[in-house]
Amino acid sequence: MKKLKLSTAIAAIAWATISTSQVAHAGEINIIMEEVPDYDIVAKLTDQFTEQNPGITVNFDAMPFDAMRDKILTSSLAPSATYDVIIIDNPWTDEFARAGFLEPLDSLISSQDGYAYDDFVPALADISKVDGSIYGVPYYNYALGLIVRQDIFDSKGLAIPKTIEDYMSVVKSLTTNGMYGAAMQPQKGYKIMEEWKNWLYANGGELFDDAGNVIINNQAAIDALNQYIETHSQAAPPNSANWGFDEALRSVSSGKAATMLSYNWMLPALNAKDGMSGDLAGNFTLHEVPGGKSVLGLWSWGITANSENKDDAWTFISWISSPEVAKQRAIMGGAPVRNSVMNSPEVWEKGYGKAYYTALADILDGSAPLSSGNNAEELIEIVGTELSAAVTGQKSVKEALDAAANGVERAIK
Amino acid sequence: MHIKYKLILPLVFLLSGIMLYPFIFSLWLSLQDYRLTRINDVQFVGFENFGFIATDQSFLNAMGNTISFVASAVIIELIFGLSLALLIQKLLIFRGFVRSILLAPMFITPIAVGLMFRFLLNSEIGIIPFYLLRFGVSLDWFGPELALFSIVLIDVWQWTPFMLLMFLAGLEALPKTPFEAARVDGAGRWLTFSSITLPMLRPVIVVALIIRALDAFKVFEYVFAITRGGPGNSTETIMYYIYQTGFRFFRMGEAAAASILLIIFILVFVILIVYLSRPKVIK
Repeated sequence: MKKLKLSTAIAAIAWATISTSQVAHAGEINIIMEEVPDYDIVAKLTDQFTEQNPGITVNFDAMPFDAMRDKILTSSLAPSATYDVIIIDNPWTDEFARAGFLEPLDSLISSQDGYAYDDFVPALADISKVDGSIYGVPYYNYALGLIVRQDIFDSKGLAIPKTIEDYMSVVKSLTTNGMYGAAMQPQKGYKIMEEWKNWLYANGGELFDDAGNVIINNQAAIDALNQYIETHSQAAPPNSANWGFDEALRSVSSGKAATMLSYNWMLPALNAKDGMSGDLAGNFTLHEVPGGKSVLGLWSWGITANSENKDDAWTFISWISSPEVAKQRAIMGGAPVRNSVMNSPEVWEKGYGKAYYTALADILDGSAPLSSGNNAEELIEIVGTELSAAVTGQKSVKEALDAAANGVERAIK
Repeated sequence: MHIKYKLILPLVFLLSGIMLYPFIFSLWLSLQDYRLTRINDVQFVGFENFGFIATDQSFLNAMGNTISFVASAVIIELIFGLSLALLIQKLLIFRGFVRSILLAPMFITPIAVGLMFRFLLNSEIGIIPFYLLRFGVSLDWFGPELALFSIVLIDVWQWTPFMLLMFLAGLEALPKTPFEAARVDGAGRWLTFSSITLPMLRPVIVVALIIRALDAFKVFEYVFAITRGGPGNSTETIMYYIYQTGFRFFRMGEAAAASILLIIFILVFVILIVYLSRPKVIK
């Protein structure tokens, strides 16, 4: 009995050791993915890849966003990578590239026949370039757009607001009788930063000037934050100071709010029959954010520098992001990243209709990433915390933005 | 070597491996500019990390939040736990059943409790705000005024059963004689409680307080699952601060320095509690 217990314990330890260091063998690639609808599409498409490449086994490790950064880091610090292919959120790109975690893809891209790298939307492809080298190719975009209840706008004879001032007056006018003009997401950190930065752009602001100086506490930023706070207090649902994406989406889909700034691909989900919006499905439309310059988010495919299966990894990446497969992915509901996909009549017909892809192309044109440069993740958290403090009245607008500027100065060193 | 030292050697090795080495490594880390994304560029910075952390507004705020959280949660749990223990001790029927039901929250993993309350108290879909609104009460449970208090309430919900368990065991182990003597002498319920029950229960109370306080200092899951330290940094606790500095910003040197300052603070706290709760010697 004792022997049995001992052997069980040894087996358990051995299993734990093996399972924590699952390095892919030759002909096998491990891919870390975020559990989002686009992942399900990629997983389905991969059956075709496996048929065409029987010598390569693809293992996906899908997980929530919060678990990904730590896992990528530990895999990248190990002598051999656990993950051969990773997806990179745009704020991580510079940090991971400079840390030496990522393999440059320039030569692989240029030697790939028919890959049409120039077909990727330039604003998206540029996010993965660090110091002149390409470290990732676009996977899917999460650019923000203005989603509105078109039926309400039509019944009240309202035009889609083009400037932030128009937007403020429209959403205030829509706030009446239990209906709110704007479902906002002022949750600390990523969420508020992602939303407020559209307001910053609308005021002509930025995080840094051309010389790289932090200008997040200049007059444009102060105006943008004052406008944001005013709108939140006058046109957003009450008790929403800690709302993130889920709460705002639910508010719009349940008919309690008339507009939201959100990911462009939420439009098809909101309009889906028998979906989250119930009878309201079909009433939502997508537009450029007020001011015209929207915050851009991107996930891109990358290969880890310590992967032992780089060739197989590139075979998979170049296949899943190729023009043909990109088109299939978009038709199945994936967020497009290639111009040829957004301009394809076949995609319009089989996908979500021409209006959506045209609006998306307008949004992507002239958009800018949420944050880039070194330690962008830290920067977003610092600024997002101070913005939240200002919205909830814990700090004045000037105090919060000054503190944000100081924090950013330190973070980017 | 004497046999008694040889016998203790395996334990010494084990403890050195799992406690001493990490602690010394943390001490070393705290003196370096050590970032996980610049692992080949580690620089000795002396006490610079400690200087930064000790003057960092976010750290001081997180420390303040944590102390408020620990003090409020543990005191409320102490009062509720003791009251419930006294009630259950007097219960004649269904005692085992009531005890099992009341202990249930303790066995749920804290991250699940956090997620559960995130939805229960959510102003958009939560059932608690929904019914409160029917009585005309509109509260933003995770707004800047109430968020920390909400986290305290969640902790109270989950950990009062622990206090209850400790006090119930303590009460049942008390000798019967002093209580009988008090009854014979005509002491009332309050006098019996304050002069006999409480003083005799003191060692159990001190142990329960220390265990709960040390555990409460580690509060992380509720904050992570619900508020991420917000709004602003009104619910940022020390563990969340350390997690964020170390594992999101990859600044391991600063995270180690913050951890060591926390250890020092907790050591002083425990010594103070033990010192203050010594029984008074009647001369």
